[in-house]
Amino acid sequence: MLETLQLMAAGLANALLPMTLIMMFAGVTLGIIIGCLPGLSAAMGVALMLPLTFTMEPETGLIVLGAIYCGAIFGGSISAILIHTPGTPASAATAIEGYQMTLKGQAGKALATACWSSFWGGLLSCISLYFFAPLLAQLALKFMSAEYFWLSLFGLTVIAGVASKSLVKGLMSGALGLLISTIGLDPITGTQRFMFGHAFLAEGINVTCALIGLFSMSQVFILAEKKIVERARAAKFTDKIALTKEERKLIRPTIIRSWLIGNIVGILPGAGASIACFMGYNNAKSFSKNKEQFGHGAIEGVAGSEAANNAVTGGSLIPTLTLGIPGESVTAVLMGGLIIQGLQPGPELFTTHAEMTYTFFGGFVLVQFAMLAIGMLGCRVFAQISRLSDAILIPCVTVLCVIGSFAIHRNFMDVIVMFIFGLLGYFMRKFDLNNAAVVLALILGPIGEKGLRNALRASQGDLSVLVGSPVCLVLIALCIVGIFSPLLMNMFEKKVSGTTMAEADAELEA
Amino acid sequence: MKKKIALLLMVSMMFMLCACGGGAAQNANQGAEQQAEWAPDGPVTMIVSYKAGNGTDLTARILAQYAEKYIGQTIVIENVDGGSGSIGWSKLAQAEADGMTIGFINLPNFNSSIVKGLGTYTVDDFTAICNHVTETSIVVVRADDNRFETIQDLVEYGKANDGKLVASTNGAQASNHIGAQAFANSAGFTYIDLPQGNTADELLSLRGGESDFCVVKVADISGMQTEVRVLASFSEERLAEYPDVPTLGELGYYDQWLGSSRCIAAPAGVSAEVVAFYENAFKQAMEDAEYLEAASSFATDYKNAEATTKLMAEQQAFTEGLSDGFWYE
Repeated sequence: MLETLQLMAAGLANALLPMTLIMMFAGVTLGIIIGCLPGLSAAMGVALMLPLTFTMEPETGLIVLGAIYCGAIFGGSISAILIHTPGTPASAATAIEGYQMTLKGQAGKALATACWSSFWGGLLSCISLYFFAPLLAQLALKFMSAEYFWLSLFGLTVIAGVASKSLVKGLMSGALGLLISTIGLDPITGTQRFMFGHAFLAEGINVTCALIGLFSMSQVFILAEKKIVERARAAKFTDKIALTKEERKLIRPTIIRSWLIGNIVGILPGAGASIACFMGYNNAKSFSKNKEQFGHGAIEGVAGSEAANNAVTGGSLIPTLTLGIPGESVTAVLMGGLIIQGLQPGPELFTTHAEMTYTFFGGFVLVQFAMLAIGMLGCRVFAQISRLSDAILIPCVTVLCVIGSFAIHRNFMDVIVMFIFGLLGYFMRKFDLNNAAVVLALILGPIGEKGLRNALRASQGDLSVLVGSPVCLVLIALCIVGIFSPLLMNMFEKKVSGTTMAEADAELEA
Repeated sequence: MKKKIALLLMVSMMFMLCACGGGAAQNANQGAEQQAEWAPDGPVTMIVSYKAGNGTDLTARILAQYAEKYIGQTIVIENVDGGSGSIGWSKLAQAEADGMTIGFINLPNFNSSIVKGLGTYTVDDFTAICNHVTETSIVVVRADDNRFETIQDLVEYGKANDGKLVASTNGAQASNHIGAQAFANSAGFTYIDLPQGNTADELLSLRGGESDFCVVKVADISGMQTEVRVLASFSEERLAEYPDVPTLGELGYYDQWLGSSRCIAAPAGVSAEVVAFYENAFKQAMEDAEYLEAASSFATDYKNAEATTKLMAEQQAFTEGLSDGFWYE
């Protein structure tokens, strides 16, 4: 044990080398830029930088990649908050409350909350990475087909939380998302579904592409519809970046819960930050004492989503390093980098290569501080974007949408898909349907489908396999709680506070 | 202030343009005269049909790094992913046959994409240059699964409990599904396949106890030797890494090589000089001592253009031959 602690301390010291620190700051900055540009995801950023790290020391290279990863996950929130354009799917839930805060002239505060929560989410996830990695990795082996089915179902219950106005419309949106998620090659038989002969649809509708359309392009249409005027809110721009003591206290429990959620979701392969942010958001809402603020710029909503998605970073490294199972696409790329450097994921990383591993962990901790520093410094500057007039913003966001969707595969078909989703998103917003629910269903649909069908294949149609393990039962219980808690809470609240919700809704409409 | 922010937005857009515009423009060498000694006169584009960071991408980048010395030009890797690889291969097939664009072809996924009708290309739309990496398939079970100490145990169990054994695969009709199918057909039992979409999840399914056995490539289990047991290989000779592991053929089961290959090809219609130039350059690169050191984690397997052409045709015939009789469902 003492030896391990020594290694940890030595690792942290190694990570403090000037060259590593410089590269770390550069990595975080680059990550934030990549993250806040729609279409450039964390995975893409890490993959683009990977060849450059081959020439560095393995430790430095890995820390740079880790810095880009963390930076990008945080960076996604910047555009989500300011222009309702989540830079990566991981920030989709941040857009819900973050953009409302921007509309209220609190862009700076929203960004600071995102930064602060990302920092804590990331930092806390390092704890589990340091001390419980081999233990927690076993969790990944407990998740087989049936468990993934329930996990996706549990994820879908979040729709009840994000659909604040009407549960029925939320469910309709979710169903639409599930339907769209069936486009592509059938995961089990390989037959073409709803592809109409277009090979680019073989892997399904790209989530990032749909996200850009549903969130950003539809936003452009909505903005363009209004008479273009100088933003009224620019005048009432109350630019308080620093979080007050009360606010920090308010979001502390949210951050801790989101850390746990993000960490666990991160460990499970295939789930990842895009689901964690929704779960974190939903959780923040369920436990909040100020539920009426949700949908109108609740600081806890931003914190819940951002702490969760950054907690995924440490979590998803756990199965990657210990079992060689990457938790999400970013860590899959990262693992490729490890193997090229001659480091085989597995127990050896903690014995033979312990020095390198703990240096990487130490670097990962320092990356969080670098992110906090850069993020907090940048907040004030970034927040100015919210003061831009629509006349500048609309063309800029349009260009970003087009380039972002093109950048995914460098395929113009994705741009067309993005525009289709933009129109879809526009009409959905007109009819009060829920765009976030579509994205959520689009992400979870394939996981659930594959899980259910494979579970039943393995059991030859015996349904008892779906309740066959303790993990399944826990997830079922969570599903039930997830479905009924918002309903119960709403009923309870209505009794307590009368019609505040209705009033609040009316206010939003105005 | 506003102007500054607008400028900031513009700069970020420029950044994105640069990020996605790489490798788009270079065609200025139309008049490359047909000399005996052909050489590229500008950056060479190398299309990889998978995402950056994917296995093929990583090995391609290492090769490109050391091949530049022998090609005398920069090699720009262009990742054109999507459509299970078919988007990239379509792009390669349609590229100008001037030798400035080459790309990686992954067998047998490439062949599957043709059979599945994902691309409009055929094998004849490409000219093979050489083979880069070959990986042989193997049959694996969990190391602590004492039901199956040998491949015969597995086959006997499979026959006694026909249709009960579960095998995870890396996707419907993907390489490892083909492997499991070829093995089970030759051994005379049926099983339940669980397509997982990729090899990492395929192995996770095995390690988590959901499936009983699976077929993977040799490199996929590096670092997992204590967790999985290799029962047999799909090779004609025993593998150097596993001298004690029998081949399926020596036990009377499937007796041909099966696995995956990463070949380098150009669009059909390139001149023989172009093929000869790249064939030679890549051969030298693959024999380069520095390259071999960097490439120690995967199985470099140089084959010349002729052998690669043959391999591509064989794999195509094999994949097309996987008729309804091959797939038991």
